[in-house]
Amino acid sequence: MAAASSSDSDSCRAESKEANSKWLDAHYDPMANIHTFSACLALADLHGDGEYKLVVGDLGPGGQQPRLKVLKGPTVLTESPLPALPAAAATFLMDQHEPRTPALALASGPCVYVYKNLRPYFKFSLPHLPPNPLEQDLWNQAKEDRIDPLTLKEMLEGIREKAEVPLSVQSLRFLQLELSEMEAFVNQHKSKAIRRQTVITTMSTLKKSLAEEDAVSCLVLGTENKELLVLDSEAFTILAKMSLPSVPVFLEVSGQFDVEFRLAAACRNGNIYVLRRDSKRPKYCIELSAQPVGLVRVHKVLVVGSTQDSLHGFTHKGKKLWTVQMPAAILTMNLLEQCSRGLQAVMAGLANGEVRIYHDKTLLNVIRTPEAVTSLCFGRYGREDNTLIMTTRGGGLIIKILKRTAVFVEGGGEVGPPPAQATKLNVPRKTRLYVDQTLREREAGTAMHRTFQTDLYLLRLRAARAYVQAIESSLSPVSAIAREPLKLHAVVQGLGPTFKLTLHLQNTSTARPILGLLVCFLYNEALYALPRAFFKVPLLVPGLNYPLETFVESLSDKGISDIIKVLVLREGQSAPLLSAHINMPVSEGLAAA
Amino acid sequence: MGLLDRLSGLLRLKKKEVNVLCLGLDNSGKTTIINKLKPSNAQSQDIVPTIGFSIAKFKSSSLSFTVFDMSGQGRYRNLWEHYYKEGQAIIFVIDSSDKLRMVVAKEELDTLLNHPDIKHRRIPILFFANKMDLRDAVTSVKVSQLLCLENIKDKPWHICASDAIKGEGLQEGVDWLQDQIQAVKT
Repeated sequence: MAAASSSDSDSCRAESKEANSKWLDAHYDPMANIHTFSACLALADLHGDGEYKLVVGDLGPGGQQPRLKVLKGPTVLTESPLPALPAAAATFLMDQHEPRTPALALASGPCVYVYKNLRPYFKFSLPHLPPNPLEQDLWNQAKEDRIDPLTLKEMLEGIREKAEVPLSVQSLRFLQLELSEMEAFVNQHKSKAIRRQTVITTMSTLKKSLAEEDAVSCLVLGTENKELLVLDSEAFTILAKMSLPSVPVFLEVSGQFDVEFRLAAACRNGNIYVLRRDSKRPKYCIELSAQPVGLVRVHKVLVVGSTQDSLHGFTHKGKKLWTVQMPAAILTMNLLEQCSRGLQAVMAGLANGEVRIYHDKTLLNVIRTPEAVTSLCFGRYGREDNTLIMTTRGGGLIIKILKRTAVFVEGGGEVGPPPAQATKLNVPRKTRLYVDQTLREREAGTAMHRTFQTDLYLLRLRAARAYVQAIESSLSPVSAIAREPLKLHAVVQGLGPTFKLTLHLQNTSTARPILGLLVCFLYNEALYALPRAFFKVPLLVPGLNYPLETFVESLSDKGISDIIKVLVLREGQSAPLLSAHINMPVSEGLAAA
Repeated sequence: MGLLDRLSGLLRLKKKEVNVLCLGLDNSGKTTIINKLKPSNAQSQDIVPTIGFSIAKFKSSSLSFTVFDMSGQGRYRNLWEHYYKEGQAIIFVIDSSDKLRMVVAKEELDTLLNHPDIKHRRIPILFFANKMDLRDAVTSVKVSQLLCLENIKDKPWHICASDAIKGEGLQEGVDWLQDQIQAVKT
């Protein structure tokens, strides 16, 4: 309540800013501790009293304690622990009985938990999958003690690599074990029948035969086994089973089960598959360039958010209509449906703390939130029709109410030409000096040209002379000879009187090691002492950087610094291959003493 | 006051007619409050959500009120402004237990106060912080804080905590309204 009142007094102060906003800040609680995502949020009139509640499948602070929370207004009404992490939450009408209170379905692990009136009502488990007959056979042999654990392990590994039917959980656990634990595990588990069960990844609802608000719905489940199941909501029998080439993660449903329906499933392989009634396999496939992060249907357009920070619009037949680029990564997406104005738009929660609302390609509105939003839900909450519920990354809860008078206009959030066009080019100004100079150039152009050319000749000559001299005495730290590609640089560390001198030597050839190199230091022996002034270099492997360190001790007590020369020589040749000059710093240790 | 009452009763003067607008969000208790203000034989038993608006009459000690009981549902709220001209006083009802929609009530109140028909008229506004009996209700002081009522400078206003089902707090509000109207008239 404290948070609500403070935000309210804020809104009193910033009234002018508030006036042009389309949203009313109803509630902000940064400590709400709700960690969930859009698929696990659902709004429904759970008690049939016209007061809509928010159902949250909460993962818990570290994804540790899954809980089912039901919120009424800004407060949590009930909270109950869940057996496993929730995958999706949905509310639907199961039957025609009065009062028409919707049931709440929560997919978690291989089960769908159905709650009515907030009490556990039914638990639907996915049917078991047929196990691999070879695997079954092996375990039967183990049961009769005709096979020892080691051979069982080898055979199972063989099956795992070759067979197309994956192994059961039991066999996979067995394969993980150490030798010592195997015997006990086999004895314990050999009598049990092996089972293969899959997990629900996504869930949605589909109207059964009527398209009305209060019609009976079916549940549509997507499983880890690359299947879509349509469940009858009264009897919990499987009405239809469809298979997909990949694991579905987002599901979008339209139509009615008995008449005609379309299922769009965004899968982990980055494709979206569109299925229709009576098609066991996908009819159309939309290939995205990146993984989908959300799937929303707006009228007849499928809007997909991708990990490349963009929204794409597709028709149901897989034709691309448009692409909009986002300024940050998309964290979540959901549908905004304003019934009174017949508006359907897509909301996208971005990583920079914005929530953007798009109608087709046009940006309608941007909401800035104090923290990045991870789940979004728009609909009737409490007694207010147009409520937007957001939960943040840190577990906060934000509730905003759309003003009655607010109209989303296209182009409302549009900006004009990019701001870069308004900035002036940084062209430097010319002064009188420049003009005088050009005048002189115009008058004495010939003389200037001649003098410059003569100077250039001299410069070239001197550069060539110096270069030849450097090559002759091998002064350069990079060897120019193609036969011996080498690179050398030296680093001095420390304050003195002892310095650490590190030579970095590198063979820059592609694939030829260099053998038999020597390093020799030339220095004034009155000023510096080196433990070894001459040593052998190890074999230089191409590409690696060899740091060769020595310690240099400054002997002078007068703060004199001198040059130390490093020569890299080849064994048996007196001419150095390359050399470096190191300007030794003044020894500060002596200066202080 | 008692003397005046007796005097008017003796003189059999006709009570003055006053038009009052009863506004507020849906489910705040407008119809229930007005129903409770009627004489006990005229009260209706069950209250259903108002469609559009309805007109009700009740009498206080010296005035006869005609109340436009408006529907507070979102889709009917645009009807409110059509009756602003007729209103000589406003009763604004707030559901004290609905903290979430307090901002919506504030928004509607702000649009009401900034409407050209209301803005420059000094009409009394009576607020009922209704549903005080509910457990999660906030106090009338808190309600006035949440609605920023202290910002209303040019109109007399008063806020009463009320429980419309039992009728608690209603009489106090109506007495205040009557005093204000008579003060304006004289």
